[in-house]
Amino acid sequence: MKLPADPNLIVGLDRADDAGVYKISDDLALIQTVDFFTPIVDDPYSFGQIAAANALSDVYAMGGVPKTAMNLVAFPVKDLDLSILRKIIEGGLDKMREADVVLVGGHTIEDAELKYGLSVTGFVHPDRVLTKRNLKPGDRLILTKPLGTGIITTAIKGGLAAKQIIDKVTLCMAELNRKAAEIMTAYPVHACTDITGFGFLGHLAEMVVGSGFGARIRVSRVPVFPETPEFAAMGLVPAGAYRNRDFRQSMVDFAPSVDSVLKDVLFDPQTSGGLLICVAPEKAEELLKDLKEKGIAGAAMVGEVLAGPVERIVVE
Amino acid sequence: MARQLDCRRLACPAPVLQTKQMVEKDELSEINVIVDNQAAKENVSRFLRSRGFEVSVEQKEGDFHITGKRGTEASAPEPVASLQKEPEKKKILVMIATDRMGFGDDELGKKLLVNFIKTLREMGDELWRLVLVNNGVKLTVAGSEVLDVLKDYEKEGLAILVCGTCLGHFNLLDRKEVGETTNMLDIVTAMQLADEVINV
Repeated sequence: MKLPADPNLIVGLDRADDAGVYKISDDLALIQTVDFFTPIVDDPYSFGQIAAANALSDVYAMGGVPKTAMNLVAFPVKDLDLSILRKIIEGGLDKMREADVVLVGGHTIEDAELKYGLSVTGFVHPDRVLTKRNLKPGDRLILTKPLGTGIITTAIKGGLAAKQIIDKVTLCMAELNRKAAEIMTAYPVHACTDITGFGFLGHLAEMVVGSGFGARIRVSRVPVFPETPEFAAMGLVPAGAYRNRDFRQSMVDFAPSVDSVLKDVLFDPQTSGGLLICVAPEKAEELLKDLKEKGIAGAAMVGEVLAGPVERIVVE
Repeated sequence: MARQLDCRRLACPAPVLQTKQMVEKDELSEINVIVDNQAAKENVSRFLRSRGFEVSVEQKEGDFHITGKRGTEASAPEPVASLQKEPEKKKILVMIATDRMGFGDDELGKKLLVNFIKTLREMGDELWRLVLVNNGVKLTVAGSEVLDVLKDYEKEGLAILVCGTCLGHFNLLDRKEVGETTNMLDIVTAMQLADEVINV
């Protein structure tokens, strides 16, 4: 497809990134992103919160600050009561308020399947845009939320997850990446993305491809919801995890000691996942400590960028 | 007689849930499940294994026919960690804290160390980490006789950890050309994970 060119387009479709970035002036650029999906938890208010946190996350992952949003709604008017839609939108608004984002409008269509999400606009200084590029050998990789939401929501759909687990995962998916994004601005962060549909290794692969470098992940340090391996072992793995694996496994060298269930967890598609922050090694420990002290308890240093082997991910 | 279950045209996790229901209701010892996609094939096979079935899969006309069999006494579910682990190869960490080998003649010592680093290749796959500290970090800057060898090792996938404090001490932070800058925590963790540590 031939795309229109514009010298002010800093991040466009030519490379896969979290959001588009358009330069308005020497000190201001616009970030635009959109994301919506079908319900992943039963509670409508929680679903609204999660969908909003997920859409806002792309702006945080670009190093920006979200400012305005519009609702995107598809609703089966004939089958569901409008009070459900109201609760979903209230959940979304709750997260917009927490993010200091104003709702400026939206659009609703009738559809057989319920969907909700946001189109979000944010600001960033053109020199401080964080993309998936610009990795440097030796950089440390920090992940700010545990993995496993795809597998656990599959177990929820199957009616096999206890309420306590549902509550814990819902809370985590509804958590904004705002705080982590704000903390990282004070550190020499070279690249950043958020972990969503392609899974942890899928998104890391996007960073590694074309970087001229490789990466190493220490699987024992990767934060995972403790119930995930058990659900995965009983076959509650979303089809997306297998697709992610088939697409990217040729780039990944797993050490023989890595459990096959954990491999699927590393490819599990995440909803409103954490940020994957690539930071200069000398400040990495400090950033991790700062994140943890400011309430991002699940943050962990999960690996590093290697000079080689080029465009490969070693998992050990 | 094996029970039949047709899970074609069902999306995950439905095939697993239907299989689970059938297996649990009648404490089956044999079951045939038909699915029409890769994800359902993997998930149903995995579920049956977790419940003590031996699983075989046959592909027929684009569908997968999964057969699970287990002893009549419903065997205990295999623990999650039953996933096959292959024997691990040995992990050797070599720590070099000097730019010359041994005491006595410094010129000889330098030559020996160059030769030592070149010969490390003979350890093959078992060479897992090379850690450079103190004077050892000087091997990573321009002019080092082993710079090219180290670069080759790195390209081949060897992790070379270079002490950041040491580089800073010698004012070499910007001149390091190979390896990743590291800290004491990483060095200590690597030593703990290694099967064997060799000090030079």
